[in-house]
Amino acid sequence: MGGKVTCTLGEVKQRADFIIYWGGNPAECHPRHFTKYTIMQKSKFLPRGRKDRTMVLVDIRETKSVKAADIFLQVRPGRDFELITILRAMIKDQHVADEQLAETGLARDVLEDLVARMKSAKFGCMFFGMGLSMTRGKHMNSAALLTLAAEMNAFTKFVAMPMRGHGNVTGADVIMRWQTGYPFGITFNRGYPRYNPGEFSTVDVLVRGDCDAAFIIGADPGATMPQPAIDHLKRIPTIVLDPHVTHTSRLARVHITTAPQGIAAPGTAYRMDELPLPLKPALKSPYPTDEEVVRRINAAIADKPFWLPEGSQPQMLTAQV
Amino acid sequence: MLRIVNGKVYDPANGIDGQVREICIDESGRIAQNVTGGRTIDATGMIVFPGGVDVHTHVAGGAINFARAMTPEDHRRTQAFIRTKTRRSGLGGMAPTTFATGYLYAGMGWTTVNEAAVPVLSARHTHEELTDIPIVDKASLTLMANNEIVLDLLENGEYERAKHAVAWYVWAAKSYGIKAVNPGGVAAWKWGHDAKQLTSPIAGYNNITPGTIVTQLARICEELNLPHPIHLHCNNLGAPGNIATTIDTLKHLEGRRAHIAHSQYHAYGGDGWESMCSRTSELADYFNSHPQLTTDAGAVLFGDTVTITADGPWQHLLYKLTGRKWGNLDVENETGCGIVPYTYRPSNLVNAVQWAAGLELLLLIKDPWQVFLSTDHPNGGCFWRYPEIIKLLMCADFRRECLTQLPARIKKHITLPEIDREYTLYEVATAMSAGPARALGLTRKGNLGVGCDGDVVIYHDTDDVEQMFGHPRYVIKGGEIVIEEGEIRETPEGREFLARPSYDPATDEFMKPLFEECYTMSFENYPVELERIERAEIMECSSE
Amino acid sequence: MTLQIIDNATCTFCGCVCDDIQLHHDEVRIHKANKACVLGTAWFLNHTAEQKYPAALVDGREASLDEAIEVAATLLHEADMPLVYGMSNTTCEAQKECVAMADLLGGLLDSHTSL
Repeated sequence: MGGKVTCTLGEVKQRADFIIYWGGNPAECHPRHFTKYTIMQKSKFLPRGRKDRTMVLVDIRETKSVKAADIFLQVRPGRDFELITILRAMIKDQHVADEQLAETGLARDVLEDLVARMKSAKFGCMFFGMGLSMTRGKHMNSAALLTLAAEMNAFTKFVAMPMRGHGNVTGADVIMRWQTGYPFGITFNRGYPRYNPGEFSTVDVLVRGDCDAAFIIGADPGATMPQPAIDHLKRIPTIVLDPHVTHTSRLARVHITTAPQGIAAPGTAYRMDELPLPLKPALKSPYPTDEEVVRRINAAIADKPFWLPEGSQPQMLTAQV
Repeated sequence: MLRIVNGKVYDPANGIDGQVREICIDESGRIAQNVTGGRTIDATGMIVFPGGVDVHTHVAGGAINFARAMTPEDHRRTQAFIRTKTRRSGLGGMAPTTFATGYLYAGMGWTTVNEAAVPVLSARHTHEELTDIPIVDKASLTLMANNEIVLDLLENGEYERAKHAVAWYVWAAKSYGIKAVNPGGVAAWKWGHDAKQLTSPIAGYNNITPGTIVTQLARICEELNLPHPIHLHCNNLGAPGNIATTIDTLKHLEGRRAHIAHSQYHAYGGDGWESMCSRTSELADYFNSHPQLTTDAGAVLFGDTVTITADGPWQHLLYKLTGRKWGNLDVENETGCGIVPYTYRPSNLVNAVQWAAGLELLLLIKDPWQVFLSTDHPNGGCFWRYPEIIKLLMCADFRRECLTQLPARIKKHITLPEIDREYTLYEVATAMSAGPARALGLTRKGNLGVGCDGDVVIYHDTDDVEQMFGHPRYVIKGGEIVIEEGEIRETPEGREFLARPSYDPATDEFMKPLFEECYTMSFENYPVELERIERAEIMECSSE
Repeated sequence: MTLQIIDNATCTFCGCVCDDIQLHHDEVRIHKANKACVLGTAWFLNHTAEQKYPAALVDGREASLDEAIEVAATLLHEADMPLVYGMSNTTCEAQKECVAMADLLGGLLDSHTSL
């Protein structure tokens, strides 16, 4: 298990005659996803647009996206992983017991129909949202769905893609990967990047009280994180950069107002399929951009003594210990 | 300003073969006749090469960044570059971080690299990563042989329009040339198919075949006067018996110039994995009789790596063969890419054939101006293992020793044991620097003549070839000493080479409706803005 | 008053990052965001170029940008294990500076993805 079989959104627009949304509510959270990238688009391969495509929605409850779906499968809460595992078995004609099916809340004939449709698709695509990736099973659910997509390629063309939200979080992921090798959950405390989600991920760090200062940008953990994490942010010097004075700003030692990206700050942002797009700000903000402020803070830090004395470390470790 | 004295100079571009010469670099970073003042390096007992040039590597962009995400287990065991006050940290390994890529290339004396596979759609991303690779100069190639707009034009016989569209794309991507990967095969992969027959129409088309795409694109590159000819990854990569496809592809070039990428992967006989054998002598003969062609070896070294290629269908096969992680990224209208971690094992017959085949090509193609050092990084092995290949080329005894590690039945599958040739230093300098620079059309690289870039590498002259090439005494980039006795001294920013072919100004108007039909971003936002390329050096190409 | 028009502007509110938005603005506020969805419209129309907040706050009092930058740098430099976190609602250019900051400080670096 591992890896990801995916594509850019234009491939879905052009080719996908079978689309599953799993644990996401695009009608409310990504309102133009249907019309700009997926089911409503006509293409040279799918000239009748919506009529040439089948859309399946998998979720634990009826959302506004149900109206757009041809088929709605209501999975029992917390049973996504079981359902994906059953589908992985069924596509390979492996036996699935009745009691295993019963756990998912879905009937055998419904799933047999789904598998038949998946296999007869010319180009299938599964989008998954936080309803899959942030509920019981978390990244194991995502990994299972990505594996299902990979395995479907034994029968037909199939891809999968996370429905990422939160503005330019994809950009952060992409940049951390090329500069450090890892997408998030990183420490430089030995002078080079190391990765360990659970150890170096923010909620864990804050709840344990491991950090003694915090620099927060483009996020408002003071409004979204568990209380023990927020309590630690109050205890330590916290610095916030944001276009607004946020919840986090109010508990911080330093707040700096910056220009909002794409509205008054130029630059680049990455789409959920990792496509970089240029920003075209309309307004001239009275505030500096994030880029400028962070650069100036970095320059001010660089004027102070470096934390590792020169020559105290080798330039390169041939292998990490 | 810098003066290098008393070193034995190997400068194949100027026919200098080990004579003691003085090399001067002026304040603009170029080689000069003479300089006054500045530092003098006494290179007594040392040898002096032009800085290495990698004609085919994958170091920046969506595909290698996907590979980084897929191999955290490698990052945590590999080389680590520790942060200093002025120098960024980084990790090496199978898919190094951008900063480490610069340190590792420069650390073994390479000063120019060519990122060989860039979709136009994500070219912005590639350039951002290239900017973050310090020290070395860079160029990049645009993926073109599966671009549906261009294929549709060729299908309809609109050659002239296709040519303008290709030129438009090269400039939109701010790239240096054209890369063709598995012509037609990646487009077919969008429906889960491949293109294996050079003369059969590709999936979804009636007229065009992989063969016609090769012919037409080679002609387009020539007529656009791009500094580098078509950079071709043939169909049927990695498959037993693919030598027939490769030779057929070369014939479809109809005598035009071309660079054939990683030919090791395209030089196999046999009809299955058990009978797979090397047919490099046949391919080498073709190169030996066609001096207008160049190639890079795509050599394989035993060990762990991660394979990344725009050849999506091949990667699906590799995933099925190995059962390891599989990454795939299809890029709308343009191309795709696949990623699978892989371990080359000496005990595995197929891998052993691949290992031998890469070396055979380097040894059987007679003119080192035609065959260049590469591993198709990271596909055949990591670029920072090049010194191992140089040792294998220079020491026949070492090769024979390595051959004893392979399965005994290998002998019937390869010709390497019969080859006694050993590379001279002059030939190494040609295959790692002068040759690839000339093939790329980078006239100021791989050359220590007056007016060329002051990119110089100085080695201790020792018998331990791998040690010598892995640990240069000095590496000089643009006249600045960047590596000295294994230590990184300076990390200047490198330049990026772009080619600007000319095209009909009406091409924008013509492209827009076609573009809007298949892409999902705005036409106006698609071309990479020139101001985003830091330290761009533009080569104007005037077509006749 | 005639509004200025920006074509093919990019909306960064959600992961769709639509880049076909037409913005009508008078340099202080955006009045219309054609093609944007309901979320995108709210995003564009709710941000203005007005000076609604102080340039900076240090320990709850208004401060100059220069002072806030110096205090921020000092606090981060003094810390043994500083954390750099967030990076969702910002540009790639700023994100690169944030990675550089964590690297320079020898600190922790994390984004929304870890939540």
